[in-house]
Amino acid sequence: MGAEQAEQADALLGELKRQTPGRLTVFLGAAPGVGKTCAMLIRARELQHQGVDVVIGIVDTHGRSETQTIAEGLPLLPRKKVDYQGRRLEEMDLDGLLARKPAIALVDELAHRNVPGSRHERRWQDVEELLDAGIDVYTTVNIQHLESLNDVVHQITGVKVSETVPDAVFERLRDIRLVDLPARELIERLNQGKVYLPEQAAHALQAFFSPSNLTALRELAMQTVAEHVDADLREKRTARGLGGISIQRHVLIAIDGRGHSEYLVRAGARMAERRGAPWSVVTVETGRSAGAAQHTEDPDRAASTLNSVARDEQQRVMEIDKAFALARNLGGETEVLHNTDITQALLDAAAARGAKSIVIGRTRERLVARIFNRTLTQQLLQRGARYELTIVSTPQARQRSLRLPDVTGELLTRREPLLILVASAGATAIAAMAEHYLGLQDLSLVFLVAVVLVASRTRMISAVITAALCFLSYDFFFIEPRLTFLISAHRGVATVLLFLAAALIAGRLASRLRMQVVALRAANSHATAMQNLGRRLAKAADLRQVIAAGTSALQSALHAEAWMRINGESGPAASTDHVTSKDLMAADWTQQHGQASGRYTDTLTNSAWWFLPVRSDKDGLGVVGLRFPLGMGRLSFEQRRLAESMVEDIGQAALRTQLVSQLEVARVTGETERLRSALLSSVSHDLRSPLSSMIGAADSLTRYGKDMGPEDQQSLLETIHLEGERLDRYIQNLLDMTRLGQQGLTLTRDWIGIDELIGSATRRLQRYEPEVRIEHDVTPKLPPIHVHPALIEQALFNVMENAAKFSPPGQAVRVQVRRIEHDQLQIDVSDRGPGIPEEERRRIFDMFYSVERGDRGKQGTGLGLTIVQGIVGAHMGRVEALPGPEGCGTTIRLTLPWGGYMSQESKENGTP
Amino acid sequence: MGRPDQANPGAPAARVLIIDDEPQIRKFIDISLRSQGYATLLAATGQEGLTLLASKGSDLVVLDLGLPDKDGKDVLKELRQWSRVPVIVLTVRSGEDEKVALLDAGANDYVTKPFGVEELMARIRAFLRTATRGADDGPIYDDGVLKIDLVQREVSVHGQVVPLARKEFSLLSLLVQQPGRLVTQTQILREIWGPTHEEDAHYLRILVGKLRHKLGDDASDPRYIATEPGVGLRFIAKERQTA
Repeated sequence: MGAEQAEQADALLGELKRQTPGRLTVFLGAAPGVGKTCAMLIRARELQHQGVDVVIGIVDTHGRSETQTIAEGLPLLPRKKVDYQGRRLEEMDLDGLLARKPAIALVDELAHRNVPGSRHERRWQDVEELLDAGIDVYTTVNIQHLESLNDVVHQITGVKVSETVPDAVFERLRDIRLVDLPARELIERLNQGKVYLPEQAAHALQAFFSPSNLTALRELAMQTVAEHVDADLREKRTARGLGGISIQRHVLIAIDGRGHSEYLVRAGARMAERRGAPWSVVTVETGRSAGAAQHTEDPDRAASTLNSVARDEQQRVMEIDKAFALARNLGGETEVLHNTDITQALLDAAAARGAKSIVIGRTRERLVARIFNRTLTQQLLQRGARYELTIVSTPQARQRSLRLPDVTGELLTRREPLLILVASAGATAIAAMAEHYLGLQDLSLVFLVAVVLVASRTRMISAVITAALCFLSYDFFFIEPRLTFLISAHRGVATVLLFLAAALIAGRLASRLRMQVVALRAANSHATAMQNLGRRLAKAADLRQVIAAGTSALQSALHAEAWMRINGESGPAASTDHVTSKDLMAADWTQQHGQASGRYTDTLTNSAWWFLPVRSDKDGLGVVGLRFPLGMGRLSFEQRRLAESMVEDIGQAALRTQLVSQLEVARVTGETERLRSALLSSVSHDLRSPLSSMIGAADSLTRYGKDMGPEDQQSLLETIHLEGERLDRYIQNLLDMTRLGQQGLTLTRDWIGIDELIGSATRRLQRYEPEVRIEHDVTPKLPPIHVHPALIEQALFNVMENAAKFSPPGQAVRVQVRRIEHDQLQIDVSDRGPGIPEEERRRIFDMFYSVERGDRGKQGTGLGLTIVQGIVGAHMGRVEALPGPEGCGTTIRLTLPWGGYMSQESKENGTP
Repeated sequence: MGRPDQANPGAPAARVLIIDDEPQIRKFIDISLRSQGYATLLAATGQEGLTLLASKGSDLVVLDLGLPDKDGKDVLKELRQWSRVPVIVLTVRSGEDEKVALLDAGANDYVTKPFGVEELMARIRAFLRTATRGADDGPIYDDGVLKIDLVQREVSVHGQVVPLARKEFSLLSLLVQQPGRLVTQTQILREIWGPTHEEDAHYLRILVGKLRHKLGDDASDPRYIATEPGVGLRFIAKERQTA
């Protein structure tokens, strides 16, 4: 039930995809000349009559008058002129068409190859971009240009068509129209010269147009259309919940890169397509080939290009690479499996994908393997009974000869023959010396050790050769009759044969162990690179660091120059210089379309860089560029895969830092907002308190003045006066605050006695709060300090006012002045109020403090102490809140540097 | 103007407790109240206020929210545990959420600083009037224009009977019975629609609109029903012309 629903959802999604972006209508023909272009133009004219906005993107009439006539009525987009190698060629103006954005664009010849230097290598890529832009496209294509049918066409006609169109393009298909013409009529048309053929290809194509070929192609075209109609019907039925006609079954295609991998991919893809099943292509890397690959990477050996093992291996890798590229083009997944046991690797992969079918090519079957049931086919049948196994027989016998250079190639490596000879000779020498002490059977163990030694150091083949040499040496030197290869005694025969068997088995085991290690190492290198990247990215705190970490990790893992641009930030600087404007165009394209471009791709290929998109969930975050050494012609699938996974991780890290920075911005905004509202609230609070008293007192006098006695009236008038002064002080505080906050405060220092400042502040305070008692404890005869007198007086006043507010009635505020550390002045203002909890002491200087305490904040912890801090800070002093003396109340301690005290002393002494 | 609130000059003066730490504010409220014939008690801290209330008693409390020793709201909560004396809160905050919270915590009304003394006096009068008012006031409100007979359920404006729907009358009588006092939205909704509709403020908005329309009242310049936005309604009692 669940699976069915999922399938239905997939189908609906598929439909949706076809509806929102542009849709593709294909006019399919069996051969050139059947009238595809004509049919397309006629249909376009019909649509134009219905008022649809149809534009000819590109249509080649090849000078045929009938086609020309039909085309004439349709709006034509001017073609783009492209200069290539001195010739002026015409191409479709893709950007013009995108800008024009018609409802339907006519684009002839889907399989056309664009002039080098165009944005895309192939026209079908242009069409994909048009479709992405929401433009419906009408196009024509011949059956032989379909990627998946390429081999079949080759088989039928013997002509290899190089300009193929990947089947994946047809996923966007809305409609497929078969333009059909019986073979005989077509040949007639051909003979009448009505079919346009390029001059140079005319001869080759003559063979193509044989009646039998054309009939076969026609049938193929019909089959293809029928299949698409079938798939379409199936999808629509599923979309409407009519129940699946087919059950999705994954098809696993296994290739080994030893000839015809691409053929296998096409065959498997076709099979999957017919079943409407998803499919993937895998190859198994055993340590053997990885070991050989390592050899090729060894710089010492790079020169010995004659090394046929390496060459063979390279060929194999390239074939797999090509097959993988093809598979991706056809819409399949690809993966490299690492395992020494091919059968197990395939079965695991099949199980992981829920595959029911495994497609393999016919394997080279060694006689021995067949006897012992050791061929891949046999093993798969035995161990994978649940799977449907399809063995595709390749058209030509798979090259058996491949094995031969394999063997010789291995013998040609420098180290191995030496090792084999040394081991064999050494074993013989030791055996000769030890013969007196050991028995004949024991001597064989000496040789066995040599074989195992070689096997553990090299590969299977060396072990076998060593075993053979040791066997011969053993026989020749030690078995009676000596110095001949004859063996006289029966026991001797048994001994040497058993020795041979033991040597072979031990050698095989040892070499397999080594292979496993090598295979693991190959798999590990990927994991290590990823781990290394992860570690570096984890440390990156911002985008710049992500870019730095990412590029350096890419550089060290892929041995290529790396460049990155994420959210407009690019780096590293060294690589940025190597990115030309041409490269940037490719980079922009990649970022915009979320697809790779540049070198090793089909898009904007003349860039030296390979650009990969950095994606977040949906939209492109940026682009990563990799520039491999010029000599590197191809990219191995391992490198491709590693690069892709690394870029993906980098994208995630970039996204993470982006989110973090967004959070940070939000936090700062919030903080500013908090400060603003704190200030507002504090201002409104500090202004309102005196205002309340003034308004209330004035109002009382106005309304009830005549009901009250003269003392009460006088008292209210006093209130108005005092509160007015208080208001003035608040405003002064605010102005000070603003000045302090704007950093524009200049201290006008003067020499003044601290006792004078305290006296002034006390007088001001007592005028306002007559009942407050203030006790002074000032060290006598303190020298004057060099400060801004008005500001310090204000600070002292604020602190004392604050203390007075917290003091219980009748309790004195204590002001104590001490000189500490010779050049500092310490002023303690203590109250005997409720005190401040430890954790809040630091915060009372905080502007937020008064707000968060609500109405209670009016005791003067609003702006007052913040201003004190500002003033004292400007004098390079500090303010702190401490518990009061004898454990109750609070002490606010101001510590001021003496300022010019020393210079004052020296001034008095008459020196500068 | 005289002393309109002292209905019985022979009776002992109503006593108001003022809890505020600002001496100047304490002072002018004290002077104003005394000038109008009330007795006053003054406290600078919350604890002092509570002690005074417990020991000497008071007919009304004016409570400032910003106190040095404890938060005004805590004082209010403590007070409400053992006293039902009307409390008018002085606050510098003007957000209605805060006001609603205060009213929920047990305050009867509030005044936002800075305020005119008459505003506070009107509030104090509204509470002390009902407190001193007895049955003699009768179930009839009449200010010469608007006449409301709560027993006969009859309302007239300029002598013309205004037909009121049942809910409209309920709302009017609820407000009229507490003239000058703030009646919270929640309270009204609960009284008229029942406890399940305490959140449905829009019911009330519609009902008040209809009632105002029928009484010839204007929401932007209310003669009878004033809205305290987001908090509640208040019936503006006019001086009576006939009792």
